[in-house]
Amino acid sequence: MMNSLMQTFALLEMSITCSLILIWILQKIAQEVFPFIVKVLLLLILANLFFWPLGMSLELPLAAYVRGVTGDLSIVTTLLLWSTLVHSHKSTPIAVKFVILIIALAFYPLALGFSMHDPYAWGYGSITFLLFVLLLALICGLANWSKGVWIVGLAIIAWSVHWHESANLWDYLLDPFLALWAFCSLFAAVLAKRKEKARSGYLFRPG
Amino acid sequence: MNRVIALCFLLLAAVLGFIHIEGRPAWAPFAIPEVAQIESEEVQSDSKPGAPKLKLVTQSAIAAPRADWVPDTGVASVHAASLIALKDGNVRAFWFAGSREGAADVVINSAVFDTKTNAWSAPEVVMDRVAAEKGLARYIAKLGNPVPARLSDGRLQLFFVTVSIGGWAGSSISTIFSDDEGSTWSRPERLITSPLINLSTLVKSPAVQFSDGRLGLPAYHEWIGRFGEFLRLDAAQVIDKRRMSSGRSAIQPLVFVNAAEDATAYFRQTRSAGQAKQIPVSHTQNAGQSWQSVSDLEVANPNSAVAGLTLQSGAHLLALNNIEAGRHRLVLLMSDPKVGQWQLIDVLEDDEALPNEQRKEYSYPYLMSATGNDAHLAYTWDRKKIRHVYFSSAWLTRAFSQLPQQSSAQSMPDSKEAP
Repeated sequence: MMNSLMQTFALLEMSITCSLILIWILQKIAQEVFPFIVKVLLLLILANLFFWPLGMSLELPLAAYVRGVTGDLSIVTTLLLWSTLVHSHKSTPIAVKFVILIIALAFYPLALGFSMHDPYAWGYGSITFLLFVLLLALICGLANWSKGVWIVGLAIIAWSVHWHESANLWDYLLDPFLALWAFCSLFAAVLAKRKEKARSGYLFRPG
Repeated sequence: MNRVIALCFLLLAAVLGFIHIEGRPAWAPFAIPEVAQIESEEVQSDSKPGAPKLKLVTQSAIAAPRADWVPDTGVASVHAASLIALKDGNVRAFWFAGSREGAADVVINSAVFDTKTNAWSAPEVVMDRVAAEKGLARYIAKLGNPVPARLSDGRLQLFFVTVSIGGWAGSSISTIFSDDEGSTWSRPERLITSPLINLSTLVKSPAVQFSDGRLGLPAYHEWIGRFGEFLRLDAAQVIDKRRMSSGRSAIQPLVFVNAAEDATAYFRQTRSAGQAKQIPVSHTQNAGQSWQSVSDLEVANPNSAVAGLTLQSGAHLLALNNIEAGRHRLVLLMSDPKVGQWQLIDVLEDDEALPNEQRKEYSYPYLMSATGNDAHLAYTWDRKKIRHVYFSSAWLTRAFSQLPQQSSAQSMPDSKEAP
């Protein structure tokens, strides 16, 4: 029963996430930010399309196919994505993206067998690791990014109530898509900065 | 104000997190199966008063190992058989079968071997791709590697591998439970073992039991790295995980529990050309909480799976291809852990004399004991059939009694043929 409920909620999560990504793509194509009510209506329609089995030759709902490839996304990724529905204009601080990228670069090679040292094992019940995560959230709060505090807090609560299949805190905090997003965002920010610098250089170049 | 509320919420999360960690079961020692203290001299002297009730079995009275075939389902490809003893003394086998390895039509089959009549039941499907994906609520492309285990509450648990995308390197482990010795099974559940989209964890060898009733499952990665991992499980949940090796050279760990805190793991080697084609070994002295790579077991291994078993006598058995290339020779080795030398006690298959193109593949052995003193072996026979061989306790006892003793064994190299 619990397993069945967990799978249903996981599919629902994935349906909402897929719908929000589609809405984001639609906004990019239309080159405008949709009004909140339009986004909610689109979300309702798309999430239903992803969640319910469509029949035809498909054995599963569309969200299950995506989940087969991606697995369950971390709570941090999910909530960051979902928060764009409400606050599309507020971007995540660049320092947060930088920290995510640094942690991912150190974490994944070790977790994937680079040495006998496996930081992924900390996620099952290391108090030191939990303290480290809480410290990062506290820094977010002190840096006036309350959204980060809420997101990390929710991720810890989701882990402690075993919301997803994983019993590892890492899986609630980080996933490869979050790391990829952090990398792309930072790369785009560096490019934008260079472009801006070049433009300002052109404007103030002596004639 | 918003910041204060957020920090209060974080405090609540911290409390829940700490409660969660505090409620987590502590690591436990291994459960040690009862070992009959049988000295080889005692085996040969049943007339002594107080000796264990083991008769001296003469060579002529001991039946040779008995071989048969696990029932054929008519499909082109079968592989990865495994076995478990049932409560009634019979043996249940699992294997995967389909038009080819990795095909969408591959199912996990099971059949029961009646140890009284020496007959197999008709095979039945335990899991197919569609049932797996509906139960797991995600797309599944193929199935493989069933490995059964007995839980401390008496239920059967079956681990199997599923792949959603790519080859076997993209595998994840799933599990099902049975309350009725394998007649019916629960909805599948997923084990989360890897931080990278849960990719690339497979299972091949049997689980070991901890003294708190939980299971320790030797698993392995074979994508970016090829290494072994030891999963501590609470039913369908991975509650801890420890690395058994690192790099790209050792998969499919097989664990021999030596004592409550002491165990040895033998691996299938996946080393690059030019490196020793022998069995990599890791050792733990704290019930699997940390593992150290030690020197190889000097038995040839051609990048193929190794099966093992500890008998009640304390004897260790290994079934493997003891050649450096190919899988055309399969043998059974035995060791007395007190002596530590592996002796060849039976050659099960040997196509060494045949030309290359006529040699068959004998692979993926799996050993299991129904009584503690006997051994059932299942292995893939040329990817077309599953072979089952039964070694009686009398035959194994005799083989054990013929193992060289410490004084003579010290001078013997590993893996010499027993007299």
